[in-house]
Amino acid sequence: MFDYTVITNNIGLLWQGLLMTLYFTVITIGAGLVLGLFVGLIQLSTFRPLVLLGQAYVEFFRNIPLLVTLLWVYYAFPIFAGINVTKFWAGFIGLSCYVASFYAEILRAGVQSVDPGQTDAATAIGMSYGQRMRRIILPQAFRKMIPPLAGQSIIQMKNTTLLSMITVPDLLYQASYISSFTYRPMEVYTAVGVIFLIILIPLTLLSRKLEKSGASAK
Amino acid sequence: MSTTQSNAPTPEKGKTSVLRLDRICLKFGDKRVLNGIDLSVVEGEVVVLIGASGSGKTSLLRCINLLNTPTSGSIVIDDEVLFHRQADGKNGTPIPNQEVNRIRSKTGMVFQQFNLFPHMTALENVMEGPVIVKKEPKEQARQTALKLLDLMGLAQHVEKYPRQLSGGQQQRVAIARAMAMQPKVMLFDEPTSALDPELVGEVMKAMVELAKSGMTMVIVTHELGFAFEVADRVVFLDQGLVAEQGPPSKVLLHPEHPRLKSFVGRFHESADLLRPFLEARQAEKAC
Repeated sequence: MFDYTVITNNIGLLWQGLLMTLYFTVITIGAGLVLGLFVGLIQLSTFRPLVLLGQAYVEFFRNIPLLVTLLWVYYAFPIFAGINVTKFWAGFIGLSCYVASFYAEILRAGVQSVDPGQTDAATAIGMSYGQRMRRIILPQAFRKMIPPLAGQSIIQMKNTTLLSMITVPDLLYQASYISSFTYRPMEVYTAVGVIFLIILIPLTLLSRKLEKSGASAK
Repeated sequence: MSTTQSNAPTPEKGKTSVLRLDRICLKFGDKRVLNGIDLSVVEGEVVVLIGASGSGKTSLLRCINLLNTPTSGSIVIDDEVLFHRQADGKNGTPIPNQEVNRIRSKTGMVFQQFNLFPHMTALENVMEGPVIVKKEPKEQARQTALKLLDLMGLAQHVEKYPRQLSGGQQQRVAIARAMAMQPKVMLFDEPTSALDPELVGEVMKAMVELAKSGMTMVIVTHELGFAFEVADRVVFLDQGLVAEQGPPSKVLLHPEHPRLKSFVGRFHESADLLRPFLEARQAEKAC
């Protein structure tokens, strides 16, 4: 039978785990956006070596499984670099770099989807590269980028569960900890799934709405 | 119309040239688009570029403000060098980007597809250049923009977004946007080609008004009747070269180059019937 007391008795641990999950979701999305904007912009530059560098970054992080990246940053990187990396930093770096590669691609695609005539028109009135980007191209690109950005951010929240593999006490880690002493994995993992559904379904609906309003604004 | 009718293909003495192109060559990969074009435009002159598609007229126009970078040649706008590169590809005088942007803003460009900024109102479109590039105070830019839009017959539409305007209205906003930078020369790239036929007239009318006000203009168009009406000089491009040029009555009614003859053929046929009328009109304008 489904024993609710397993959950209610350990609600404190689950709550701590959820906070950790949300914390990592927010900070890695934030750092990922900054890094992704940077990588996306260098991919859009006209200086070939920079473009290649940006592409190399994107392909590197997109094509290594996130779990491998996390384990590598936590266990292998400290040996290579000869420094100590805490699990929090390892998790932060791994997740941020990973999501930045996807954000960079979304940005690049968004900017490239803006009609080249817009660049022509902005250039013709004497705007510099920075003015063109800031005033003309990015405002139009961002509108198109909102739905894919929202989608990627939802995936990012789910991906934080991989942190449990490097012993960061996120929601999933706490759940496996609870099930290790209660021997009730059914209740605990069900609770974890439900928590994710409760948080993410409204966000998914919101992003769908944004997609619609974005489409009609065009 | 400008005060004196230019009948010579070369700039008249005593008039300052606003735009000078010297041996402009342009290649896209292996494809040679422009093969050494010389063109000089004096103040107040209206030059119309005609030619078959692929003759390089749009490419030439886009070279004038460096939207296309020529392979070699030189461009001087208002006595300032915008571009200079020798035929051997050596860059004689590299010009910093900031300078390029500043000199470039002495030209105003109107595009076939209007290219208005869709996230801004008509008014904001026109104010954008003066406020962001020239750093003019907002209120001043606003007043100038309103005046320009009024001149274009758009006083009713200043707060509308481009998607709420017809093609002809959008194109007139685009003309106002280019004019707001107080350019020395206006460049028009087939400004009526993307318009529904019933909207062509209003844009042409706005351009004729502009020409009358003494604006220096370089226009790429397929509308030969319009060229006849507004041009001081018609330049026929063929295979990336100036094949023939002169006053419209000469180039459009008495062409010499064989390809120009076939190009203006249809215009010619109808013009044959109208010749006495058209020539009388030209004579009248020349006085």
